Amino acid sequence: MIDLLTQFWVSAVMREALIPALLIALVTASMSVMVMAHRLSFLTVGVSHASLAGLGFAVTLALPLLPTATIFAVLIALLLALMPKKKGISEDAGTGMLFAGSMALGIVLISNAASSEVDLFGLLFGNILTISSAELNWLYLLSALILLALFLAARAWWSIAFDAVTADASGLPVSSLKLLLYGMVGLTVILCVKLAGIVLTAGLMILPAACAWIWGRSLFSLWLLSVIFSLAGTLLGLIWSYAYEWPSGATVVLTLCLFFMISWCSNWLKCKLV
Amino acid sequence: MSAPVVQISHLHFGPASKPVLDNINLELEAGHFLGIVGPNGAGKSTLLNILAGLTQPSGGHIDLFGKCLTRFSRHALLKQIGFLNQLHDHEPRLPMRVRDVVAMGLSNYTMPWQFGDHDGALMSALQLVDMQNLAEADFRMLSGGQRQRTRLARALVRQPRLLLLDEPSAALDSVRQEKLFQLLRRLCDETGMSVIMVEHDIAAISSHVDSVACLNGQIHHHAMKGEDIPEDIWRAMYGDHIHIMAHDAGCIGCGPSDVHKPHDHGHVS
Repeated sequence: MIDLLTQFWVSAVMREALIPALLIALVTASMSVMVMAHRLSFLTVGVSHASLAGLGFAVTLALPLLPTATIFAVLIALLLALMPKKKGISEDAGTGMLFAGSMALGIVLISNAASSEVDLFGLLFGNILTISSAELNWLYLLSALILLALFLAARAWWSIAFDAVTADASGLPVSSLKLLLYGMVGLTVILCVKLAGIVLTAGLMILPAACAWIWGRSLFSLWLLSVIFSLAGTLLGLIWSYAYEWPSGATVVLTLCLFFMISWCSNWLKCKLV
Repeated sequence: MSAPVVQISHLHFGPASKPVLDNINLELEAGHFLGIVGPNGAGKSTLLNILAGLTQPSGGHIDLFGKCLTRFSRHALLKQIGFLNQLHDHEPRLPMRVRDVVAMGLSNYTMPWQFGDHDGALMSALQLVDMQNLAEADFRMLSGGQRQRTRLARALVRQPRLLLLDEPSAALDSVRQEKLFQLLRRLCDETGMSVIMVEHDIAAISSHVDSVACLNGQIHHHAMKGEDIPEDIWRAMYGDHIHIMAHDAGCIGCGPSDVHKPHDHGHVS
């Protein structure tokens, strides 16, 4: 075990991947509790899959991948935030339509792209080990934006999640704050793509908070536990992926799934026994 | 003489052919406790929403504290007004403590650089509703009545000059209802706060309020303390198919025509 950890630490690839992976884990876990509180889990699934269209455009037009996907993901998230009110379409139906349509567009665009350099597997399932310095800078920028938004708006977002009607009556600009939240969900989704890929991003966005929800007894403890589960899951997942040569993103998500099952079973047993 | 706290002139809301509120005129002095009664869909909640700045009226004029309502910024208005809207569901999964819920009523709650010590204001508000011992309790574990008292503390935490309450006694037992109305009466008398409260049970509020406005689209009658509400007013509000009840004090109240249970209704004693 000590040998494995030593080898993991001396591996230059792993060491370089560790800091961005833990940063992604920290930011994602912080947004994860908001996603759960506002019941936006399906939105994260929809936006992450829809961002394939953004990646498709980037590949077709030879644009930078992550910035193009970021713009696309934020636009999709904002469109979903506005759609239910303007068109009378329920949010889950709107998400489903955009999810399928954008993903189909992304597949067509990527399959038609002449470039064979596109790492489709990496886009779909993530590969933090191949992160470039330009991508790293982009991750730092997105992380800073998301953490700043959380610092400024977290209390207001909690208020809206708890009771939107009273939050509105208390003078909070509920619509603007919701737009900001959806926009930040879009950014967070892109942040996760490098680690877990389009397909598995929702796991990083939902599982840490789902684990925290079982044990948390206050808003602060929810956030703290979500961060702890996310950091631990990412670290352990990367170590396992190194040890068994499994894909890093999938291993991290599997580790978080394991945490959730252990938490859920422990809580179930506790309820039965007490 | 100071300006009235609320002065409503010819207020109108809704389409001209079927207005929700039509030609509403009301005036409230500091320390006045006004009860509003009326059937479902009478426009009671709409009137409170307009006063809270949440809904724009179609016509008419409203002055609050001597200043036109439209000249208040949202923030300035909320510093003066406490609002408890109709009972509705909150997010049941969030682990909020009672003090967290009350803190949401503070204007600076959402500003992370203003994390100052709110304990004094929070505990005073909780003490008013007799919830100080439950400040650290999980809001999800409270009874319906305790939750309603917590929401009332949230409306009171800013020490507003005008308190708007939409059926605040919903979910409260009769003892708690009486305590709530006594508290509101005391706040009006001691702090000069004015209260506008929508309620259905006129018998419960009649001994506490200064006046009762009978609203059903229009204000059919505004009964001052000690004044009976005439029988034809009840019929105008609730229709002819109601059972009018009179009791020994000569007061008049109403109920469904097939219910003959006597009530102490209709008199602002």
